Amino acid sequence: MTIRSQLNLLTAVVIGGSGFAGWSAFEARREIEAYDRVMNESMETRSVLLLMEDLPYHDDTFRRLNLEKERLKEPDRKQAFNSAVKMYAAKNPLELRRAIRKGLRVEADHFNKNRGRRDVIEARFEKLMMVSLCILAAGLLLVMLTVHAMIFKSLNRLSRRMLDFLVDRYSFQFSQPDQSELGDLQRTFNSLAQRVINTTDELKRLDSAKSEFLSIASHELRTPMTSIKGSLSLLASGVVGQLDVGSLRLIKIAEGETDRLIRLINDLLDLAKIESGGLPLHLNWVQWDDFCGKTLDGLASLAHKAEVRLELVSLPAVEVNIDRDRLQQVLTNLVSNAIKFSPKGGAVRVTLSRAKTGELVVSVSDTGPGIKAEDREMIFEKFRQGTSAANPLVKGTGLGLAIAKALVAEHGGSIGVESTVGVGSNFWFSLPKWRENEAVESKSEAA
Amino acid sequence: MHILLAEDDPAVSIVIQICLEKIGGHTVQLVGDGAAAVSLASREAFDLIVLDGMMPIKSGLQAASEIRAAGVVSTPIIFLSAKNDERDIAAFLKLGVGFIPKPFEPTMICAKIDTILDEAQNGTSNRGAS
Repeated sequence: MTIRSQLNLLTAVVIGGSGFAGWSAFEARREIEAYDRVMNESMETRSVLLLMEDLPYHDDTFRRLNLEKERLKEPDRKQAFNSAVKMYAAKNPLELRRAIRKGLRVEADHFNKNRGRRDVIEARFEKLMMVSLCILAAGLLLVMLTVHAMIFKSLNRLSRRMLDFLVDRYSFQFSQPDQSELGDLQRTFNSLAQRVINTTDELKRLDSAKSEFLSIASHELRTPMTSIKGSLSLLASGVVGQLDVGSLRLIKIAEGETDRLIRLINDLLDLAKIESGGLPLHLNWVQWDDFCGKTLDGLASLAHKAEVRLELVSLPAVEVNIDRDRLQQVLTNLVSNAIKFSPKGGAVRVTLSRAKTGELVVSVSDTGPGIKAEDREMIFEKFRQGTSAANPLVKGTGLGLAIAKALVAEHGGSIGVESTVGVGSNFWFSLPKWRENEAVESKSEAA
Repeated sequence: MHILLAEDDPAVSIVIQICLEKIGGHTVQLVGDGAAAVSLASREAFDLIVLDGMMPIKSGLQAASEIRAAGVVSTPIIFLSAKNDERDIAAFLKLGVGFIPKPFEPTMICAKIDTILDEAQNGTSNRGAS
């Protein structure tokens, strides 16, 4: 039975029951009023008769009594009154008294009889009123309970399942949907959830297949690359025999391109590993100045070759909780990019600062050509490079920033870029886990 | 030095052999799988054994433990491996003096081997040189 039909039936029963009881009570009330009227009349008659017994024998009184007679309605009362008046007229006191007594007795009987009936009806009226109220109250209670049991409970169940589904995919199903209208809702929810799960599973499967493919492909590519690179290096170094200048030039080109291919394969494998969560971080507390200094030392020759100055602006005695190798990869990527895009005589500045949110922010700013607004988001995606007309010779794998983004995210931070075309770019990333180390500070001051 | 090199990929093994011979001036005996490495190591004396981690028939680790079991206890063993998780590294360092992670530049292999042997001799950390 649907909730709607149950509620309709219940409401009809309540309205019908309380309506019938109410109507009966109303009828009883009217009957009571009718009896009240009759009893009032007989009270009046009695009072007239009692008045008459004490009357002095007087003509005025007789006339007044005749007028009073008109007010009496019932024929037998009128008759009793008439005979009493006749006795009065005949001036027979004895007869008159008897007639008055008889009239009083008749009226008293009449009155008592009516009062008895009225009391019975009044009791019935009270009972009916009570029943009507009870039916109404019970009906309301039933309606409330029904609504609660069938609608609110089901709604609660549904919203709980929905919340469960958000956090845990396995408890979503309504194995036995309700028979009511809410059952449809539950069935709809079941199929929606199923669709979401299917889609998610499919996506996960595709993603893991992709990661696996990348990983296998990268491994399979590395082995031949090792021997190609080794052979070319051996040829170029001349240990297996001297080469003429032309051949040597070609071998050098092949060696350089092999290096590029190896870098690309390494980046691909790295990214596949990070994305599949197969690259757990080895977090340690590292002193920032030491870490940053060593990273920049490794880039000094590149900067020297490009005739770019490297500057370091730091906060005193800051320690960061990082995976040293992985964050070095990030910083190296950003700084070497900045060097590559800076003009001769330019400067690359690595700044450590504290954000308002409490995080540490590492910025790498350059004096390069800048990045167009439409490219700024895109450059962090795989194989997407900015459309740089300024330096077409700068070749990268297109994966460096994607890897940097993934690694910074693994550290709980975020990465971004601000740039003005023609002025320079400022790449930054945040590190949420850091502390100030007083011991290091005092030691360095002492030194 | 007289070196035993076990590596299954023929191209890689020839390049490494040439590097070791031409750059390092060593003599090299080349085998293509773990089982051949075990039998050769137990027959002939070497100054150094270089084993690839993943080889047919017997893996590098398996070959190393069998070489040790066959009574060759003092010859240093170096592994070449593309697998370089913490667990793999720990297993390599238990049986050998060090490991060289793949991919590496073949021309650098002599320098890396020297570094590992030096560190092992000086008793310093014998982690793989990279």
